[in-house]
Amino acid sequence: MMPITIHHFLAVAAILFTIGVFGIFLNRKNIIVILMSIELILLSVNINFVAFGAQLGDLTGQVFTLFVLTVAAAEAAIGLAILVVYFRNRNTIAVDDINMMKG
Amino acid sequence: MSSELIQTYFPVFVFLLLAIGMSGVMIGLSFLLAKQKPDAEKLSPYECGFDPFSDARHKFDVRFYLVSILFIIFDLEIAFLFPWAVSLGAIGMFGFWSMMVFLGVLTIGFIYEWRKGALEWE
Amino acid sequence: MNAELIPAVLFYLFAGVLVLSAMMVVASRNPVHSVLFLILAFFNAAGLFLLLGAEFAAFILVIVYVGAVAVLFLFVVMMLDIDFEQLRKGAWKSLPVGILVGLVLVSQMVMTAVNWQSLPTAGSSILSPAARHAAATNTQAVGAILYTDYVYPFQIAGLILLVAMIGAIVLTLRDRGGVLRQNINSQITRKASDVVEVRKVQKGAGIS
Repeated sequence: MMPITIHHFLAVAAILFTIGVFGIFLNRKNIIVILMSIELILLSVNINFVAFGAQLGDLTGQVFTLFVLTVAAAEAAIGLAILVVYFRNRNTIAVDDINMMKG
Repeated sequence: MSSELIQTYFPVFVFLLLAIGMSGVMIGLSFLLAKQKPDAEKLSPYECGFDPFSDARHKFDVRFYLVSILFIIFDLEIAFLFPWAVSLGAIGMFGFWSMMVFLGVLTIGFIYEWRKGALEWE
Repeated sequence: MNAELIPAVLFYLFAGVLVLSAMMVVASRNPVHSVLFLILAFFNAAGLFLLLGAEFAAFILVIVYVGAVAVLFLFVVMMLDIDFEQLRKGAWKSLPVGILVGLVLVSQMVMTAVNWQSLPTAGSSILSPAARHAAATNTQAVGAILYTDYVYPFQIAGLILLVAMIGAIVLTLRDRGGVLRQNINSQITRKASDVVEVRKVQKGAGIS
């Protein structure tokens, strides 16, 4: 078995990112799963940050992982809050119904 | 990755194995040893003898959601306090006041939600 | 089992379960299952972080994500009464496009990642080397730079949290009329002379 290098971690992050993008395509109407896919994408970004940080002996990667986690948590909270308000007004969460502002 | 680090976490690994094993044994034994003869009456939900009033997947109030959002925000605030607490000797006064500004900003939010009544429960 | 093999075995275990559970997140029919697989994915990502030596990031991932964000998703899935089968309809129409985009993305990124080499001079451009901070633990090393070298991003993180807090309140807090709230100030400033009245009652006359 090969020793584990940074390339292995980068490959895992790439696969995770792709699964996230694929999930957005597959669940185009269900905005909850879209938000979960975005969480997966941000998780892959974090794996990249930490892997490069470990490779270069630099702590910047880990610090920025914390910031990305903060932004992701705030994004999930606000996204779900918008979703809750939208559901309260329209009684559905289908994304393709959001076209009332189209000219 | 170093193997010393992995050795440090060996107790956690043992703990995880024990937890998974114990819960697996509990579920597995009750599945294997108990006599299982399901019928419609046994599988129906039990609510003190009468038929259940409503679906078990009852919608609950949106105020729980607001509380959980506020919990996330303060959870992250606490998460940023941990490294500050252990490295306060190394970062000096600048680090101390940096955290005080951070806490002050979040205290503004805390006062806002207090004034708006987001923490009140009727 | 020799010492070199253990990290490799752990890596393949964490990475494999991570990728599989991520697939289940996007492919699962029931959103509750999606959330539970998301929690499993976060746990395994925390394992990968531990393998890379980022202990504090791993703990935060478990505490904040598994403890709070996943619970928030679970709340929303169970709080809103949504017909998920209807939302699934027509999902397979966009499958070919999704697979195409996914394949292009993953082939590009894996090709880049596998052939990537770091520049020989990269070592000199490191901003905050771990060696400069002779800290006992990873958490101490992170703390030594987070509040001083990265003070502006740190304050911006605080502002983002403030915005999220206020935004959530503005969006979801609605005043329902007729709710009786306790007003402590008016409670304790109330005086007996304001509300209690002593009257002389005539015999048989009653009081109006």
